[in-house]
Formats: sequence, structure tokens, C-alpha cells
Amino acid sequence: MKDIATIIFRLTISCLLAGLVMGTAFVLTNKAKLHNAEEREHKVMLGLLGYSAATSAPESLALHAVHRYIVTSGENSTIGYLVPLKGEGFSFVEIGLDGAFVGQQPVKLAAEQAGEAGTRDAAITAAVGAGKSLRYADQTIIVTENGRRSAYLLPGVFPGFKTFVKVILALDPTFSILGLEIMEHEEDPGLGGEIVQGYFKNQFKGKTFEALKKLGVVKTPLPEEYRRVLTLGKNNEAIGPEEVAKVQAQYQDKDIYALTGATISSRAVTNGVKGIANKFAYRLAILDKVLAAQHIAVAF
Amino acid sequence: MATDKTNLQLVVNGILNENPIFRLVLSMCPAVGISTTVMNGFMLGIAVLFVQVFSSCTIAIFKDKIHPRIRIPTYTLTIATWVTVIDMVLAAYLPEAYAKMGIFIKLIVAFAIITMRLEMFACKESVTASFWDGIGMGLGFMFGMMALGFVRELLGLGTVLGYDVLGFKPLLFFILPFAGFFCVGLMMGFFNYIEARYRRAKRA
Repeated sequence: MKDIATIIFRLTISCLLAGLVMGTAFVLTNKAKLHNAEEREHKVMLGLLGYSAATSAPESLALHAVHRYIVTSGENSTIGYLVPLKGEGFSFVEIGLDGAFVGQQPVKLAAEQAGEAGTRDAAITAAVGAGKSLRYADQTIIVTENGRRSAYLLPGVFPGFKTFVKVILALDPTFSILGLEIMEHEEDPGLGGEIVQGYFKNQFKGKTFEALKKLGVVKTPLPEEYRRVLTLGKNNEAIGPEEVAKVQAQYQDKDIYALTGATISSRAVTNGVKGIANKFAYRLAILDKVLAAQHIAVAF
Repeated sequence: MATDKTNLQLVVNGILNENPIFRLVLSMCPAVGISTTVMNGFMLGIAVLFVQVFSSCTIAIFKDKIHPRIRIPTYTLTIATWVTVIDMVLAAYLPEAYAKMGIFIKLIVAFAIITMRLEMFACKESVTASFWDGIGMGLGFMFGMMALGFVRELLGLGTVLGYDVLGFKPLLFFILPFAGFFCVGLMMGFFNYIEARYRRAKRA
């Protein structure tokens, strides 16, 4: 009996010590980790827009983040968008669930503070006043070039085969897909994990919004010529631009070719991408309508 | 019971006499799974070195406080703690290496070599001796992985550290996991042969 007590006591102490060590390490490293993730995200976003270290982004390119919140006060819920205004400053625009304008408040926030979740939430809470609770939903990045919208970048999360898959989807102003990048996933290596490979994720490139609505997954093998175009630049294969364009046009309206042994992952990504694009197009239409009707001069 | 070896002998012991891969034949799964290139072997070796040293020291410090009946859970807990810490540090400060090695680093928790060294050495010896033993074992594992990686990368891909040295790929199957076993076996035989020659020469 005494043994049990000692064992329990010592194991508890060991666990507490282990927790303390791990907690300290987490506190010390978390900031650097978040910074890395942010930097990587920025790099991926520029990559999706076609800019890399070799061809750097032009000065006229600007990324405007729009943060979406769900605002609840008592029984009523509204959707709030934190939009950057033309010139400087931010405005918090509240839209009812039926798409009607509810109200807008100026938010005191410096441009560089908008990326920090804590500061941003506090500033918005101060602006909307007490009695309303805020819940962060997601963010959208609207890309402008010389003041005109050139693309939308949509970070999104959807369930994969095992856990959630985090992606960034790039759309052009007509909601055709510019590119897809998988940021985080825990699919099986070699099976569902292949969703990060160019021959799968690049299949989404160039799908139009109309085609996306009824996009499905087929379980036929990926044609070799299509694979060569999708993995272009990886194997140093020389394919002329005309041939690339020809093959891409040929497969543009085709369904997504499923990964071998990972049909569920393939379907999950396809449906996830469809969901992100559809919901975004719906929300943006409402937001644009409200912004135009209320004459709110936004930066994008 | 204290060891009668000097610190240097402890380190050399880990690298040569009790090399984790070629002599103790422990932790074969990572050895054959990951040692496809010199760089992979080196990075996993570094991670194992740190985990081994930290865990050995921790157990050596607390060896009198660990109840003998629950020593294995305590070892596992210790190893898991240090693996998690190293995982977080790598993710924060070396994100590029972590992207490649992340999945293997979490596997270190289950490495036989680390638990075995805690059970055989660290729970009986002083902190200093355990520290040097951990260094020796970690280096032995690292050199073993790098030697395996060198042979497999050269034969499988025709490269060393990513640089093309042969210009062609002699035996592509050497980078596949099962070829790791061939490689370990052949290299073990080679090292045993050298040792036998050396002893014979010494005796004569």
C-alpha cells in the first residue's frame, strides 16, 4: 500500500516537472514559430500570385486583409467585417444575416497592428461598444494592383481524411482559380499526403467558377501528358508554352483526377475548395453591395 | 557501481565498441528508413544526440528518486519531454530543416537506443559519466547513420550531400527502405572483417 502511494506521488511529480519543462519551451519558442508561419504564409501568397525571389512583386501591388467576425448581442447575430479604408484607418461594417446594412464604426487601429489578433480584437470591441460579443471567423486578402482588384487570397480550413487541412486558395476577380497551396495537413504519407504534390494541387489551376460548381472527382489514371504539364519545372523537362497551353485547355473542364489510394482525401480537398470559393463569392457580393450603397470608400 | 572508464573512453566506446547501429543493432527502423542521404542521417543524428544527452543527464540526476517499479514509464516520460522540447525549438528556429525532419523527430520517443542507454547506463552512473556516454552514443548513432547514408546515397542516387559525383544512378533500389537492411548487413560484415584483421595483426 505504501508502495502505491510513493509510486503515485513520484509519477505525479515527474509529470508536473515534464509539463513545466515543455510549457517553458513552448512559451520561449512560440513567438518565433508564429513569426515563421506568418513569413511562410506571405511567401506562399506571393508565390500563388506568380511572384518569387526571382521576379519580385511590383510596388503597385498591395494586399488588403479583410477580417470577418460574428457579432452576437443577445439573440441577434450579425456579421462584421473589418475593412481598411482608403488612405488610412479601418472601419467595422456590420451586416445582418439577411444582407441588410446594420451599422459601421470607425476602429482606432494602426496598419501594422491589424495583423495581431489580440490588439485587433480589443480595438474592435472598444469600437462596437459593450453588450456585444465578438467571435473571429476568418480573413480574406484582397489584392490590388494600381488600385484595381487583381486577385483574392483565401486562407481556409476544411476536414480531410484524418484531421483538418489548411490551405490558401487564390482566385482571380472572376473567381477562377489561380492556384492552390496546402499549408498544413496530417494525411497519410504516400497516400493522402500526396495532395501537396504538384500533379494533384495544380489540377485546380485555371478552373473557372462555373466549372468549379459542378467539379467532381474521377478515379481514372492521370494522363501522362497532363502530369508532365502539372509537374512542370520540377523535372527540368522542356515543354513549349504552346503545348502547355494546349494541354491545359484540353483538361480545363475535366474533373479532378483522384490520387491513387486516397479517393477520400482527393474528394475532401475538391469539396473544400468548392466550399471556400462558393462561400467567398456569396459573401463578397453582399459586402460589395453594402459598401457601394453606403458610400464607404475602402482601400480595395 | 561506477564505471572505470575515462570520459574519452566512454565517447569512443559509443562510436566504436558499442556503436548503436553496427554493434548493438538497435533503432533499426529509423536507420533503414531515413538513412537515404548523408544529410538526412546527419540531421536525425543531431536530434538523437541532443535527446540522448538530455535524457541521460536527467535520469542520472534523479536516479535515486525513481521508483524501480515505474522506471520504464519514467524513462519514456523523460524522453518524450525532451523530444517535444527539441521539436518545438526546431520548428521555431530551423523551419526549413523541420519541414523535412518533423515527422521523424516525433518518432525518437520510440527509439530503442535511448531507453536502453537509460536502463543500462544512466540509472547506475554519475551525471558526468552519463553525459559523456550520451555524447558517445549520440555521435555513434550519427556517424552510423551518415555512413549508411553515404553508401546508400552514392549507390542509389550517385550523389554525395546532394552533389552529383558519379553522373549516373548505379543501383536505384538502394534508396528504398528494404535496401537499408542489405546495407546495414554488408557494412556490419565489412566492419567486423576489419576488426578481425586488426586483432590478428595485433596478436601476431
